[in-house]
Amino acid sequence: MNAHQSDAKSADFVISRVFDAPRDLVWKAFTDPEHMKQWWGPKGFTVIHSKMDLRPGGTYHYGMKAPDGTPMWGLFRYREIVAPERMVFVNSFSDEAGSVTRHTGHMAWPLEMVTTFTFEELPNGKTKLTTRSSAHNATEQEQKTFDTSHDSMKQGWTGTLDQLTGYLAKPKAR
Amino acid sequence: MTTDRLSTTFAALADPTRRAILARLVQGETSVTDLAKPFDISGPAISRHLKVLEHAGLITRGREAQWRPCRIEPNALKSVDDWLEKYRRFWEERFDRLEDYLEELQAKELKEKPMQKKRGRRK
Repeated sequence: MNAHQSDAKSADFVISRVFDAPRDLVWKAFTDPEHMKQWWGPKGFTVIHSKMDLRPGGTYHYGMKAPDGTPMWGLFRYREIVAPERMVFVNSFSDEAGSVTRHTGHMAWPLEMVTTFTFEELPNGKTKLTTRSSAHNATEQEQKTFDTSHDSMKQGWTGTLDQLTGYLAKPKAR
Repeated sequence: MTTDRLSTTFAALADPTRRAILARLVQGETSVTDLAKPFDISGPAISRHLKVLEHAGLITRGREAQWRPCRIEPNALKSVDDWLEKYRRFWEERFDRLEDYLEELQAKELKEKPMQKKRGRRK
């Protein structure tokens, strides 16, 4: 089906940024829990816990405090680490003990996201960091009711989504 | 929209056949028979997909017993779009801080190696 193929191409949700720093340093900022402590989290938040086991199957468990004192916990589960080029992890909210949770008061975060970071060396000591995310899990109900293949889950959906939300912006033709 | 509702919507969008159905519906109301045509799957399978989309609020179906046309519901898509915007902000905020931190680190490095000290190292 053609629709599928084009989805797969323009699939994931992509955000990138060029940093004025060499790649090794950017990589280090992501892979050293002491560095992560210094910048991870939104402005005004303090990181209160930063524990990293950097290997496929390992985790990064972090905790931070909102300006109003509310604690917030999160977890990366690493799938792939290729220093200093690429890492893949499942990004989710968690609790203090490091178990994955779905709900948080701070943001409606519907599901876990598979996030791929690529670190690309640019001339003049700059680094381009690109993050690609796609939905990871269906809800439990979805999994019970339908035999959805894992592959289709890994395929992105935001390409179609752009197309669909583009439709929202258009005046109604009917 | 609640978190659970949003999860349901995202789960519905996670399947390529359902996304293709939505893409078709963007062009206008369509009967189930016409929707099923481009797909190499059974009628009951299409019906299941439509149920998921309906449950997620992404489509509605007409009441007419025979024809039951499907149409897209823009509001659910809007919620997904809003959420993606929040998600983008989540990363943009972190990248902002990382940018500052990397600058700080490099400034410190220069300070510790005075021989390499450059003028105007701070932007």
